[in-house]
Amino acid sequence: MRRFAELPAWARWALYAALGVLLLTIVQGFDDTNRLTAASSSQAMLRWGMPILLAGLGGLFAERAGIVNIGLEGMMILGTWFGAWGALNYGAWAGLLLGIAGGALGGLIHAIATISFGVDHVISGVAVNILAPGATRFLSSEIFTGYDGGSITQSPRVPGVGHITVPVLASGPDLLGDVMRADVFFFSDVAGLTRGLATQLSLVTLIALLLVPFTAWLLWRTRFGLRLRVCGERPEAGESQGINVYRYKYVAVVISGGFAGLAGAFIVSPELSGIYLEGQTTGRGFIGLAALILGNWRPSGILIGALLFGYPFGVGLRDLDGAASHSLLLVNAIALVGVAVWAHRRGQRTSTILAVVLSGLAAMWYLVAEEVPDWWTDILPYVIVLVVLVFFTQRLRPPAAAGRPYRKGEA
Amino acid sequence: MAPAIELRGITKRFPGVIANEAVDLTVAEGEIHAICGENGAGKSTLMKILYGMQAADEGSMTVFGKEVHFASPNDAIDAGIGMVHQHFMLADQLTVLENVILGAEPMRSGGRIDFAAAKQHLVKVSEAYGLDVAPDELIEALEVGERQRVEIIKVLYRGARILILDEPTAVLVPQEVDELFRNLRELKEGGATILFIDHKLDEVLEIADTITVLRQGRSIATVKPADVTASDLAELMVGSELPTPETTESTVTDVVALAITGVTVTDEEDRTLVNDVSLRVHRGEVVGIAGVEGNGQSELVDAIVGTRAVASGTIFLLGDDVTRAPVRHRRELGLGYVPQDRQEEGMLLPAPLWENAMLGHQTRAPFAKGPWVDRAGARARTEEIRRSFDVRTPNVDVAAHALSGGNQQKLIVGREMTAGPTVFVAAHPTRGIDVGAQAAVWDAIRDARRLGLATLLISADLDELIGLSDTIVVMIRGKIVATLDPHDVTPRSLGSYMTGAAFESGATP
Repeated sequence: MRRFAELPAWARWALYAALGVLLLTIVQGFDDTNRLTAASSSQAMLRWGMPILLAGLGGLFAERAGIVNIGLEGMMILGTWFGAWGALNYGAWAGLLLGIAGGALGGLIHAIATISFGVDHVISGVAVNILAPGATRFLSSEIFTGYDGGSITQSPRVPGVGHITVPVLASGPDLLGDVMRADVFFFSDVAGLTRGLATQLSLVTLIALLLVPFTAWLLWRTRFGLRLRVCGERPEAGESQGINVYRYKYVAVVISGGFAGLAGAFIVSPELSGIYLEGQTTGRGFIGLAALILGNWRPSGILIGALLFGYPFGVGLRDLDGAASHSLLLVNAIALVGVAVWAHRRGQRTSTILAVVLSGLAAMWYLVAEEVPDWWTDILPYVIVLVVLVFFTQRLRPPAAAGRPYRKGEA
Repeated sequence: MAPAIELRGITKRFPGVIANEAVDLTVAEGEIHAICGENGAGKSTLMKILYGMQAADEGSMTVFGKEVHFASPNDAIDAGIGMVHQHFMLADQLTVLENVILGAEPMRSGGRIDFAAAKQHLVKVSEAYGLDVAPDELIEALEVGERQRVEIIKVLYRGARILILDEPTAVLVPQEVDELFRNLRELKEGGATILFIDHKLDEVLEIADTITVLRQGRSIATVKPADVTASDLAELMVGSELPTPETTESTVTDVVALAITGVTVTDEEDRTLVNDVSLRVHRGEVVGIAGVEGNGQSELVDAIVGTRAVASGTIFLLGDDVTRAPVRHRRELGLGYVPQDRQEEGMLLPAPLWENAMLGHQTRAPFAKGPWVDRAGARARTEEIRRSFDVRTPNVDVAAHALSGGNQQKLIVGREMTAGPTVFVAAHPTRGIDVGAQAAVWDAIRDARRLGLATLLISADLDELIGLSDTIVVMIRGKIVATLDPHDVTPRSLGSYMTGAAFESGATP
């Protein structure tokens, strides 16, 4: 066990992932499905996970600077509208940029309210969430209604940026495809999942994924990042060293909005919808916040959280006979046993009992029901959020000053 | 040679208060200069002006012979002035290195911080002045004394030649104070000028080369420590004799007012914070709890007050089992409480004083009439507290945050004492308040003790503990490790019990 802890982080995570795939492989055998490890599942997971990832990273910037950004959802909505409008008028790439700008505008409003006027962060965020759909509806009625195929609630079809398929691995020699088709237990499953990630990879997805290491680098390796983080941990410490705390908070919240806007632009891109539709963000800004919490306010953790939340969507999407969703129940039950063991070893009695009970319920459902209703995969991400918050809250380390009003000169 | 700092006629007014009035101050280069004064004497304001955090309304300021006008701490830092704040300006979840370099980060290309160079410089500075720290440790893992060292290094890292230390000893045990003073003397050897704010007179006399006394915003006198005694200084500060916390004869009765038996408190992760503590406080008795902060004292207090559940053990208040009773029930039985953090737990800062005076007593006369708030009664009581505890405020309708820390504390102590408690739990009742107010609090405790008050006193002021207590218990890691008679201990020996040194050297508890 100690040897395991000494492994580098990436190796540990690779092992965790392999264990997870092994579990999925075994479980789906009982239900005679291969959807849990199909290439299309991992592909859908990635697509569904990206808006959550981007929203989560946006939340990270704001909260690391001490501003709780519950307005991510609204900023994302602004991103969808401006993303669609930009893509229709100036092309797909401009759409992304305008989506970012739209979200950043929402961020700026939040920044002015919380930083300059000291409005409670949650109240301001909720205001942005209320303001954004109203603003976009107004804009649609003014602009999209004049477009061919547009209306007050939707835009015409939106163009997308290109895709790449990773050569050698997934095209040309297609090594992963070969392994996948060889149908060797477990290895073919790993290959299938990986091939899904490497095939028809949208450039936006690629950018979103690259933003994870970039964010980590920016926040933990640069002067800008250090100063920004101090604003979220102890702004007075920054102020006493002559740092302009207000400026860093402003920049951080505007960046935060930009990330949420990009998430919105991603949703309207052909990756997910290919069209602007009112109400299409469906609370993914909030799931982004959940990914932020699950990821313990770290970029790599947010990525894991986003993929975890995207996975049930990916599985449910083409699961016509419900067998895969049914299998997921057993996966949940087994994962909860894991949680129970973990809690027990830490001597947390209540948590252990709760996890055992939940696991038992999931297992019972699995055994009793032949198939599960299709809403199950839809709500699973939210269930995961609740479970994480219930069992792991004590392990989380939010920025110490997040949500705290800050006034210059009161130190 | 031009003095390091020269202030002439510095005046600073706040709405309704003159914080500094025509203050003159001359600090020679390479000396340790102490600024003494009661709370509200204007020490902190003066230091904030000197560090560029506030601007003076009138007066001039020269640093190393050059006239300066600071618009922000940046300007002060550029002029070679560094400040070690009383409340450390450190981010707990950042490393020592990150905290130190903040605002003065050495850079590589592309906006990256040159962490290697930073660490090198940090190690160089810390070795040059004999200040020992681990650069990669998180601040939250450090002891108070270590955190203070980080603060000092932070200032030196920026090349400061003048250090301002705001009540640096307030949070330290005597052994740590010795260490700090050793460090300060080394800094002075190295050519640094040190401005030292304090109101503990023996410390000032020990460390300072020159002492300037402030009273009511004015500079009253500048003296050499060799020429004055502690009582001279006190007289300068308050215009009266130095009060001491001595109690005279014992008034301990054999009626047990507070009985704690085998109390254990654990945190969410089942770590033991208070370990099987048993205590009895009799009517007319003061039991003092000594201990380095973070050794379970505050958790024990929480358990007694009822804000934290006990894992096992019992708490009896005047014969009633209150182990599981809600806080209000305990307070209505006559439990008075001064919390250790007055701004967090003791007050509602934006609320007026008369509302603050109700807190904890809101269900009883004179604050309540049936289910209603009795405004007139509350105001009258607040006026009474204001008078008898000398709370300096224009009226009882001002918000609590407008008061200085000392006056806030006087209001809290007054609120609890005027309610006529039978058991009084006081966590640091005189922390951060001036000698005048301190005497008032001590008098109040002593008077109440004579009338049969049972007091549990937690304090970091060892003189206070020894002077007021009838019994002193020492807590280390949640356990009571020694029960001492205050007549047999000195602050120094008590300090060695608190750090555990007394046990290592073979002395019997």
